Amino acid sequence: MVFIVTALMLEASPLIEYFSLKKDMKINNYQVYKNSDIALVISGVGKIKSAMAAIYLLSTFKSKKEDILINIGFCGTNSLKYALGELIAINKVKDMDTGKDYYPDVYFGKNIPKETLCCSSKPIFKEDYKEDKDMLFDMESVGIMEAGQKFLYTHNTVILKIISDFLTPKDLDKEMLKDYIKNNIPYIVEIIDELKNLNDSSKISFEEEERAVNLLCESLNFTEAMKKMLFKEVKKSKLKGLEPLNILNDFSCREVKIKKEGKRVFEQIIEKLK
Amino acid sequence: MNRLLKNSNKYFFHSIYIEEGALNYPITKNIIEKYCNSNLIIIKHYKDVFNRTNQNFSVQKQNQSLILAVKSKPFVYNGPDVCQNFGYSNFYYTSFLLNCIFDCEYCYLQGMYPSSNIVAFVNIEDFKSEIKYITSKESVFLAASYDTDLIAFHNIVPYLDYFYDFFKSLPNLLVEVRTKSANESFYKTHKAIDNLIVAFTLSPDEIIKKYERSTPSLDARIKAAKTAISMGFKVRICLDPIFVGPDVDSFYEPFYNYLFSQINPNDILDIGYGFFRMSKDFFKRIEKIRPNSLLFCDDYSLKDGVLSYPSNLQEKIMKKHYEILTKYINEDKIFSL
Ligand code: SF4
Repeated sequence: MVFIVTALMLEASPLIEYFSLKKDMKINNYQVYKNSDIALVISGVGKIKSAMAAIYLLSTFKSKKEDILINIGFCGTNSLKYALGELIAINKVKDMDTGKDYYPDVYFGKNIPKETLCCSSKPIFKEDYKEDKDMLFDMESVGIMEAGQKFLYTHNTVILKIISDFLTPKDLDKEMLKDYIKNNIPYIVEIIDELKNLNDSSKISFEEEERAVNLLCESLNFTEAMKKMLFKEVKKSKLKGLEPLNILNDFSCREVKIKKEGKRVFEQIIEKLK
Repeated sequence: MNRLLKNSNKYFFHSIYIEEGALNYPITKNIIEKYCNSNLIIIKHYKDVFNRTNQNFSVQKQNQSLILAVKSKPFVYNGPDVCQNFGYSNFYYTSFLLNCIFDCEYCYLQGMYPSSNIVAFVNIEDFKSEIKYITSKESVFLAASYDTDLIAFHNIVPYLDYFYDFFKSLPNLLVEVRTKSANESFYKTHKAIDNLIVAFTLSPDEIIKKYERSTPSLDARIKAAKTAISMGFKVRICLDPIFVGPDVDSFYEPFYNYLFSQINPNDILDIGYGFFRMSKDFFKRIEKIRPNSLLFCDDYSLKDGVLSYPSNLQEKIMKKHYEILTKYINEDKIFSL
């Protein structure tokens, strides 16, 4: 599953439209939009709100470590290196309040620039930043990093920022901002695909086998220890390229009345799996 | 050729993290110059990146990053019991690098470290001071490449160049550098020194293909070992880890015969022999991060917190292997655990 957090409706609406997300009417605390693969929440501005919304999403949808959490939003910069509307992948987040640094792994977007981002609890204007260093500023990334690192693999928490202004974050043209998001949707789609491939490549799923083992162990009254052993043998058998599900299936109609018989059936299954 | 060197003569890391405190060291400056197009990220402490929770070892291994850091004390550790000491009681090891550019399925580092990124320590003078200090009190056997492969890393940071004169100057020190690398440049550019042993870890090609991803083939390693021998280096052969099972047992006899048809047994210092073994804690961690590994699905017997093959099986296999090995080399030159 892909979880997206944006601070504002303005940032979310082009994504809602592109991915054909529908509002989840059962959720009242947040505005959540989803399809079968993506859930998007509008968090409100600031790192506490973004952390809360991200955790809400990850817990409500029972996230797994292989799921992906993406923060998409605007950032300001004092750097003239980038143009308005440009998409940046963040490889370091600095919390301006605590001095703590976060390091998202950025294993996607080869051609997208990578930068450090400062996360502030209030909007940063030109006159607030005196350092002579090019920097990007936002207000949500720290919250996303805090939430993501608790639930997901490090490479699955992603901060994507689009340059909205040169530290003049007032009276920005809303339509233009929406266009910045819209223009970057092809890159965002590509990034999501890359992340999905990365997660898929790292595992063989044993979910189906686990389900079958659970069912069989329940119907044959196997103990927990037997279940553990059986699952291990099933895994081995699948890794060797055999088809353990068929073997489990052959035993699914067996009935076991006494313990001794159960043990014998168990041994038969193990034998067949080898 | 190693995955990280393909497509280019230059090693390419996904990102290079540099500790603020490491910025002014010569190694760091060289790396920055060499990889100026890489993604450079300044960090406060290497553990802020290396020790993050929930890193995925195998995804990271495919996108390995380099972290340049300043190591703090200690620089030298007492050798653990699961490693061979080749008869030396004052056995120490040191790690200039954490992790390795290779990706062996059985590597215990996966269970030891939370990250597969490579940490390279840049404050080599501090290592030298401590090594000098311990050798001033006693004769020392120092394993300098146990938790990594220094020679495979030589084109990135040539640690052995930096330590060559230093090692040479300490008669009380015997250094072992263990490798699976086919990189011959060190042997070709340096004169052999008496107190340096290069230990080549060799396995049947079938085992290399099965378990030692992105490492050089047996022939490439044998070629490097022959170069080292011809340049006068003391060469040790490490047959470690040995695997046991109906699917692998038959690989070893032809392998030993081939090995000694290529390398004259009189030219090697000795042989280190050891079965696949791993601490129970590391094993459990690796079992989780390598759910696709048959090696970590197997049952092993547990003794003193270490998982390995049952001792009667080890004895049986070892006897068989020794019968072949001792055709070529004297038993007192074979060290086993
Ligand atoms: S060469 Fe050694 S250190 Fe490197 S991955 Fe293989 S076993 Fe681990």
